[in-house]
Order: sequence, then structure tokens, then C-alpha cells
Amino acid sequence: MLKIPTPNIGKISILVAILTWLALLFVDITRIFQSVNQMDHSLAPEISYVLEILFFILVYIFYNHSINKNENIDFLNLIWRGVSTGLLATIISLSISIFYMMLGGSKLGSDPLLSNFFYHVNFAFVSLFLISCSLLWKHLILYQKTKKVVQQWQAFEVLLLMCMFFVFFNGNNFDYSFIFGLVFLTIFSASLSINLKWIPYLTFKEKWKSILFLVIILICTIYLFSKFGFYSESEIAFVNLNINLFLMGLFAFVAIYTLFSFLVTLFNLPTSSVFEQKLVEAINFQRLSQSIKPGQDENQVLDILIDSSMSASYADGGWLEILDKDQIPQLIQKRFIDEEVRQEIITLFQTVKPFSEFDWTQDDNDTKKFYGKIPHNIFKSAFLIPLVVNKKTIGRMYLVKEVRDGFNKEMINIITTFVGQASISVENYRLLNEAIKTERYKEELKIAQRVQRSLLPKELHHNEKFEICGFSVAADEVGGDYYETKNLDEGVFSIIIGDVSGKGTSAAFNMSQMKGIFHSLVQLKPSPGEFLFKANTALSQCLERNHFITTSYFLLDTNRQTIKYSRAGHCPTLFYDHSEDKASYLSAEGLGLGIVRSPNYRKYIHESEFHYDKEDILVLYTDGIIEAKNKKGVEFGYDNLKAALMQHKNLSAELIQKRIIDQVYQFVGEGGIPDDDFSIMVIKFNS
Amino acid sequence: MLNVEKYLESGSRVLVLTGEIDASNSVELDAAISEVVQEGAKNILIDCSGLEYISSAGLGVFMSYLDEFEENNVKMVIFGLKDKVFQVFHILGLDQLISIRPTKEQALEG
Repeated sequence: MLKIPTPNIGKISILVAILTWLALLFVDITRIFQSVNQMDHSLAPEISYVLEILFFILVYIFYNHSINKNENIDFLNLIWRGVSTGLLATIISLSISIFYMMLGGSKLGSDPLLSNFFYHVNFAFVSLFLISCSLLWKHLILYQKTKKVVQQWQAFEVLLLMCMFFVFFNGNNFDYSFIFGLVFLTIFSASLSINLKWIPYLTFKEKWKSILFLVIILICTIYLFSKFGFYSESEIAFVNLNINLFLMGLFAFVAIYTLFSFLVTLFNLPTSSVFEQKLVEAINFQRLSQSIKPGQDENQVLDILIDSSMSASYADGGWLEILDKDQIPQLIQKRFIDEEVRQEIITLFQTVKPFSEFDWTQDDNDTKKFYGKIPHNIFKSAFLIPLVVNKKTIGRMYLVKEVRDGFNKEMINIITTFVGQASISVENYRLLNEAIKTERYKEELKIAQRVQRSLLPKELHHNEKFEICGFSVAADEVGGDYYETKNLDEGVFSIIIGDVSGKGTSAAFNMSQMKGIFHSLVQLKPSPGEFLFKANTALSQCLERNHFITTSYFLLDTNRQTIKYSRAGHCPTLFYDHSEDKASYLSAEGLGLGIVRSPNYRKYIHESEFHYDKEDILVLYTDGIIEAKNKKGVEFGYDNLKAALMQHKNLSAELIQKRIIDQVYQFVGEGGIPDDDFSIMVIKFNS
Repeated sequence: MLNVEKYLESGSRVLVLTGEIDASNSVELDAAISEVVQEGAKNILIDCSGLEYISSAGLGVFMSYLDEFEENNVKMVIFGLKDKVFQVFHILGLDQLISIRPTKEQALEG
């Protein structure tokens, strides 16, 4: 299979250019041959002109292609390419001159064929240099281009193209029209040459290099131009290729742009460092403002902060402290300063104003900066700036310089901006971490809530002689209310309701202890008084000193229709007596569990017993119901509870409970939230 | 919101509590009492006439000092309790352990 290679514009154009050049050479040599042999001049000069134009265009295509291929080339490399072609053309031109000088007046020196050949070589390389250099300058001119500049350049290119064909009208004569065209091109070149936006972006070192390169190019251009002039005066060739408006225009353009660039770069040198500094500051600012991703260290931001602050103020040393969990400053970053010297300066700061005025606890530290001189033998001036997040000082940064009054207003302003930005980044980082942590705690609490829910009984023990139901809701995720039942003997039940002091997690832990104590003691089938005494003894061992538990313990005997109970500081039980159609709170003396942690507790225990009948109702509850507040701050209270029971006394236990809860919620209203855990149990006797 | 003020009268330290005591600020009450104890007061009067509410956490604070006061012969008397707040003390049974008087004069008498 025959493979058709993809056309390579670069290779093809240079190949054809070489062929064109050879043709040009051949045409001229033919002319010499005809002249020497005194033959008729059969070759019109137009053939040479056409070949010349073709050559220019091909070289232009080649360089355009080769420069565009390396789109991202930097300025210095770009100029270097110009230098290399310039030097090549100059060296070749020089070598030819030297070669002729060595030949002197020998016969070879005046050989028309040889000199014609060299003339063409010289012409080719000068064209290469000028065209390539113009294209390089095009790149520089069009750096950060605007539409206007692009149009201007395109006009220039069209103009140059027209200049190529000028030779047909003018026939290479140095006449007025030629001079007019050249002056016009020169002015156009000068107006293009003010586009020098690339220069400020060079670093100081690059500027020096580019100055050197530009000088070389300028010298090459001048030398080649002078040589050109020399050739144009001598009568080597029959067709003068050099007196060409296109080439002359390019000479003018390359020389002017090079000169402008050289001068501007030279005068930009002194302010170069300022521009560089501002550029670095802008980049640093951008780095600081990129918030830290979770998992990364806030030290990274502090690292950038101290580096950028030091470079912004040309500081000779510096360090950065951040408060740790215990509010003790910890050294996080240190730059170019010995620990020994640092300690010396820290000691100085404690006595020297204004540094001694720094106070971690002030809440207006974000507006404060401390700078001044310090009496130290190495460092003469210092700058101290607090890092403030949300009015809270989280750290401070010190910068020191070996010169007096080393910190001016601009430096302080830019550092303050850096510090502000870094503080925001650190704050964002900390907030994010906190949010993640809180999310985890929430998750843990949900688990705790599930576990605690399972501690409350789903089914309450009972028999056909009474109905019983219970309900509990916690103010927080977990609560401290507790109720439970146990079937002790045939027809004998124990019932307990309790409330742990406080609320939330600590209450929940104590509530689970109470459950354990209930299940242990209930197996002994104690009397209510005995239960309270033993429970108090047990809880005395495991409750914190300022915690207590209130409880009411009931022994319900459905065989005898009696209830025996004891109250340990718990809300008095509400009892509805059907025979009298009256509800009342059972008053019995008592003291909460865990308050008196000695056998003396027995003194405070009271046991009561009463008889119940069919349709009687017992309501057990915790203080959350009584203390439920509405928007005005009024508590639900005992009277409301009693009234609610009276209103719904004829309903089943479950419905009574539901109605009472509804009433509590209604009382609290939409805006109110239960402030405390609350629980309720309703027992209704059937027979 | 809880506000605690202190003054000295007839050799007794008087703590004036105004507002509400709940789980969130019971620590303030604890700090106030413990400060008075540190100062070596032997007679502590607590003026609760401006106290609107006390939660179980607040009661826990009073409770936690009972043993210490008995050991060191410190007398603590609460006076001026509003009826509603007194009920809370009474239901828990704390009125059996802490001297509670209606007025300051009676409290000063002991």
C-alpha cells in the first residue's frame, strides 16, 4: 500500500524556498553567462522579481508555521531565536567579507560568478533574519492584544505585501516614490512599536538578559544594513534584489521595535522589583484566600502567611504563635532567627512599648498593630500583628528587621490584608471541622436516644382488673424520666415512676441506673418503704453529689383492691375517687433519693395504703407536665391537671392519657416547647 | 436568667437570688455559695423573694452542700420563697432538711 504522507507545511515551504532561491541564483548566473559571452539578454528582470516575492512568501510561511507551533514559548526564548538568526546572518556576512579581504586583488576575488553566489547567500540570510524577526516581534506586539492592535498589525502586513509588488512599478530605483514608501513604513512601524506590554512581566534577571539580546539584534541589524548598502552600490548583480521596499521596510521595523524594546526595558529596570513584588503579593493573596480543604492542616495557611508577609516587608526574621487549647501561645512558624535571639527579643517585648501593650484578651485586637524600634543589637525594628477570628485573638505574628523604621505604611497595609485573609481561612477551617464533629455527636445522640427508648417498657404488666398505659417524651434527645411495672405475684403488681434531676445525657445515665436498681430490688418483693430505703442506699454510691432521683413506688394488689405506696420527693399522685366523684392529690411525706446518703434516710420514709373501687383512676406523672409553660410563662399546674382528669374521667385509660397530653400541648401552644422531660401513666380500675 | 447579689447583715452573709435557676445556670449559684463558704461564712441567708423558678438542677446545688454545712457547723437559711417555688422544695422534701423561713427577720432569728 502506498502511504500518502500528511503534508508538513514547514518542511514543504522551506524546501520550495530553497528551490526558489536556487532558481533565483540560476537566473542571475545565466545572465552573467550571457553577459560574459556577449549574448542577448533574454531573461527579463521580472522573472527575478517574481522569484524574489515567492521566496519572501515561502520564508514567511515557514517562520509563521514554526513560531505558531511553539505557542507557549516565553519572551526570552522568543528574543533568543531572533538573536540566533541575526548572529547567523551576521557571521555569514562577516565571513564573506573576510574571505574577500584574504583574496585581496587575486583573480578569484573579482570572479563575477563567485561574488554573485555570495551575493545571493547574503541576500537569503538577511531575508531569513528580517522575516523571522518581524514575526517574533509580531508575537510580542500582540501580547495582551486588543482589537485595535490586531487591526493595526493586519494593516501593516497588507502594506508589506503591497511593498513586495512595488518593485514592478519602481524597478528597484531609489527614487522619491521609494523614499516616500519607506518613510511611511517607518512611521507605521514606530506607531506599532509602542505595544510593549510584555516588558513588565519580565523578572529583573530576565530584563538584563533581554537587554543583552536586544543589543545584539540591534548591532546585527545595523551591520547587515550597512553591508546591504555596500552591496547596492557595487555592480555585482544585474538585478538588484536588495533595493526592495519590502526588505527596507522590514529593516526599519525590526530596528525601531528593537530599539524601543531596548530603551523601555532599560528604563523599566529600576521599577522592576516593585512590579515583581506586587505580582508576588497578588499571587500570595490568592493562595491565602483559597480556603483549606477539610483534612488539611491550618498550618499550611500560616506557612504561606508568614512567607508572604516576610517577602512583602523584606523582613529579616519572623515567627508566628497560635494559642492552643489551654490558651498558651505555641510557636508554629519560625523564619531566619535563632531560638536564642528570639528569646532575647521576646524578653524585650515584655518591657518595650508599644509591644508590651499587647493583650490577648482585648476584643478589639483586629484593629491593632504594633510597630516600632527595639533596643536589640541585631534587630532594630519590629512589627507585631494579632491574628483575630470573631473578635477572639487566636495568635500573633512577629516580624523583625535589621534596620531602623523598617516597616512603612504600605508594608503594614499589605501584611494586615494578608493576616485578615489568613484569619478568615483559619476560621473557615475550624468551623468546618467543628461542623463535622457536631454532625458526629448528633449521630451518637441518635444512637443514645434509640438505646434509651428501649429502656422504657413497651408493654406494661397488668391483668383484666385494670387498664394501664404510659407515655414519655424527652426535652432533649435523651431524658431522665422513667416508669416501669412488674408482676410480682398472682394479682400483685409493682409500679414505679421516677424523675432524675437535671436533663439530657447525665439524666439519661442515671435513669438507666435506676432501672437496674428497680429490677434488682423488685425480685425481693419489698414493701414500698423498704424499696425506697434500699434504692437510696444503692444510689448513694453511684449518684453525683448534686444529683438526686424522685420516685413513687406502688404495690397494687388486685385481689384485695388495695394500693400501698411510698413517695420519695416525687410529684404527688392524682387519684380519682368514683364513689365521691372527686379527684385529689395523694399527700404523703417523703424525701428524694440520694439527698440524705445515710441510714438516717429511713426517718423520711412514709408508707400509705388505701382501698380502691371500680372506675377509680390513678394518674402518675412527672413534673414536666406541671411545669409545662405557655408563651406567657404560666405553668400548666396542678389545677389544670386535675380539671383535665375530671373532664375525661369516663373515657378509657388510654384515651384519658391522650386527652391530658393533648391538653398540655394545647396549653403550651405552638410557640412553646417542652422545657423538661415529661411522662404520664394512667391506671383505670375495671372491677 | 439568674442574678446573684451579696451583702453582709448582722454577721450573716446574705445571697439575693433573682430570676430563674435551671440546668444552664445552676453553676452560677454553686459558684456563689462556694465563694461565700470559702470566705469562711458561718451564717448564710438566701433571699429568694425574687426567685421565680427553680429546677431540679438548682435544688441539687442546695442539696450538695447539706453534708458539708452540717460538718462545719454552717447555718443556711432560705427565706422569702414564693409559694410556687416553696412547693418545689416541699414536694422533694428538702424543707425537712433546710431551714426555710417566710421573712428575713425570722431568718435572722434562726
